[in-house]
Amino acid sequence: MRWIRPLSARAGEPAEVLGAKAHGLVVLHRLGLPVPAGFVVTVEACRAFMREGRLPAGLDEELAIAMTGLEAATGRRFGGAQAPLAVSVRSGASVSMPGMMNTILNLGLTTEASAGLAAETGDARFALNARLRFVSSFASAITNTDVRGVTTEPGEALGRETGDGDAQLIEAVEKLVRQRGGRPLPDDAAQQLELAIETVFSSWDAPRARTYRELHDIPHDLGTAVIVQAMVFGNRDDHSGTGVAFSRDPNTGENVPYGDVLFGHQGEDVVSGRSAAHPLHELAGREPAVWTALIDALRRVEDHYRDACYVEFTFQAGELWLLQVRPGRFAGGAAVRVATELADARLITRHEALLRVSPHHLRHVRTPRIAASAKADVVARGVGACPGVAAGKVATTTEAAVRMAADGPVILVRPETSPHDMRGLAAATGIVTARGGPASHAAVVARAMGKPAVVGVGGLIVDVAAASWRADGRTVSEGTLVTIDGTSGEVALGSPPVSTDAAGAHLRRLLAWADDVSGDHSEREEAERLSAAHAALRHD
Amino acid sequence: MSRPAPRRTGTGLLVLHALRCGGHAGLTRVAAATGMDESEVESELIDLAVAGLVTHLGGGFDVWGLTDAGRVTDAEWITDELEAGGARPAVTAAYQRFLVLNPELLDLCTAWQLRPVDGVMTVNDHSDPSYDTRVLGRFSALDWRAAVVCDELAAALPRFGRYRTRLTEALDRANSGELAYVADHVSASYHTVWAQLHEDLLATLGITR
Repeated sequence: MRWIRPLSARAGEPAEVLGAKAHGLVVLHRLGLPVPAGFVVTVEACRAFMREGRLPAGLDEELAIAMTGLEAATGRRFGGAQAPLAVSVRSGASVSMPGMMNTILNLGLTTEASAGLAAETGDARFALNARLRFVSSFASAITNTDVRGVTTEPGEALGRETGDGDAQLIEAVEKLVRQRGGRPLPDDAAQQLELAIETVFSSWDAPRARTYRELHDIPHDLGTAVIVQAMVFGNRDDHSGTGVAFSRDPNTGENVPYGDVLFGHQGEDVVSGRSAAHPLHELAGREPAVWTALIDALRRVEDHYRDACYVEFTFQAGELWLLQVRPGRFAGGAAVRVATELADARLITRHEALLRVSPHHLRHVRTPRIAASAKADVVARGVGACPGVAAGKVATTTEAAVRMAADGPVILVRPETSPHDMRGLAAATGIVTARGGPASHAAVVARAMGKPAVVGVGGLIVDVAAASWRADGRTVSEGTLVTIDGTSGEVALGSPPVSTDAAGAHLRRLLAWADDVSGDHSEREEAERLSAAHAALRHD
Repeated sequence: MSRPAPRRTGTGLLVLHALRCGGHAGLTRVAAATGMDESEVESELIDLAVAGLVTHLGGGFDVWGLTDAGRVTDAEWITDELEAGGARPAVTAAYQRFLVLNPELLDLCTAWQLRPVDGVMTVNDHSDPSYDTRVLGRFSALDWRAAVVCDELAAALPRFGRYRTRLTEALDRANSGELAYVADHVSASYHTVWAQLHEDLLATLGITR
């Protein structure tokens, strides 16, 4: 085949052809780890699409053949009324462009196939919810906007617990697509697949993606691959779920698995922060077999990459599937600790360890952090949006923040922020928001003000009337002392100890190795010592 | 002597709505938002305060803000204005185009504040003019597309024309070296004006966040 490669251990081409995500899936196959059956439409097809403005000739026949293969591998029928096959369609360029491009889930769930899924599982609510996810992810991709933000209440979770409104939501989304796109969503599985691939290819050239590439020196002509895989459903039953996992703690570098798990949900719920995730270790108690398989997988990918790794996973009916893998890309003290410990374990040499740590990382080693976070009473976790630690009393409105700031430091906790919160943001010492990512209004303003901020705390509910907020089943009232860490995204009760030397012992050892390499043992700045070692190593 | 009741169209609406979209503000900021003179703004604010729609915060703040009644009244007036002109379809369509641009604007503000160095997001200390020029170049490219949306909005409801002027002013000042006019909170920066436009669209269409 010219445009399509099966995802298998035998796929020999590099990330430049398959895209980095598909290449990672090939690595997982080679390691004998469970990956849903699938194939990849190569970057070449995207380039042809960009040149010609349409999918390249012959791709449609190749897609039909590849889908027949996928049907055979899964024993299901694409668009079928019985045992319907649903697929995910994901973008995957050779370089990382986080959040820039589209993912479409549950594709192939036509009206007929959804009815088939309901009959097969005996779970009409599950089938309806799966179809809602399909139409909303497809509509978001086509219209280039977050359709769920338009049609659902913000923060509303699309988990197994919802369902009653799903049919109405599906109608609302379909209407929106007709209004904005001028044509309805196709109800034919093969047409859906072609349109989805076109949409992902087009998203490569969306203005926002172009801007991202301009800013990050990524050539515009690279293009993206498209990965098509059989769906696994994290919202299938009570033994299903989804999560993300690091082989080591990305905040500290400590050699313990770290991540989030969401029971009864599909993958994008974790990444989007729409729902409250649980700490990864809760998986051990609830799904011990999945946990054991995941820990084994983390060890194997770490041995392969010889680095801390990140994986995305789903478990369906108690069975683990891996959906993505990449090296962890740790920063600051965590990078120092991982490099040092990998050298100690002889997975990498000391010279490699030195080269793994950028002198720029050392600037971040001294950023204040909540020390020994495992011992702190962490009540919520989000995304760190502006580094540093801030402690103060909780305020849930701008008015309260301004009033309370007269008596001491305040942490402003809001669902999200708008221009109305400017006085509160100015009065507060630190900022926490339930919604939004690192580029949200709150994050932009916090950085402009140089204030530690945590955003996108999934499941955080601010109750202004009660002057309190809830997360993970706990309620925190206005006036309660909390401490936030704008690097790790942690929100802890009280005032846990703060450290500016989290990687102390590891850093001293790494820098001693650096001095051995450079032959210069004089007293100098840390970054200078590491830079000298880099220079010496690059000369060899 | 009784003052006249504030007007539900014209300058009374402009001033009330500026506080609705921009939050608490002093005379200078309301004047900048509305394009009115400060004395004119003050006169309207006093009328609105007498009607119980706005309130003055002293104690070192010297800013004005909406009362709860002011918020309700603003919603009423702004809806009347929207429906009277039959502007809802055009504003809705423009809002949808705005939503496509919004994430890109926030990406750009982030790129202005943070840049990746060796894979680590690092505070942009603005010591590299070539990087800043590149980011500002992308701001201009976005602004060009935003202008289309602003023009559509101004055609539907003339008061939206003010955003075009203010965004252009912010970008011009940033390009001439006043870096605070990109994403800082203290000034009428591009990000500040943009966030007010976003809030205005939500308020005008009656969409809750």
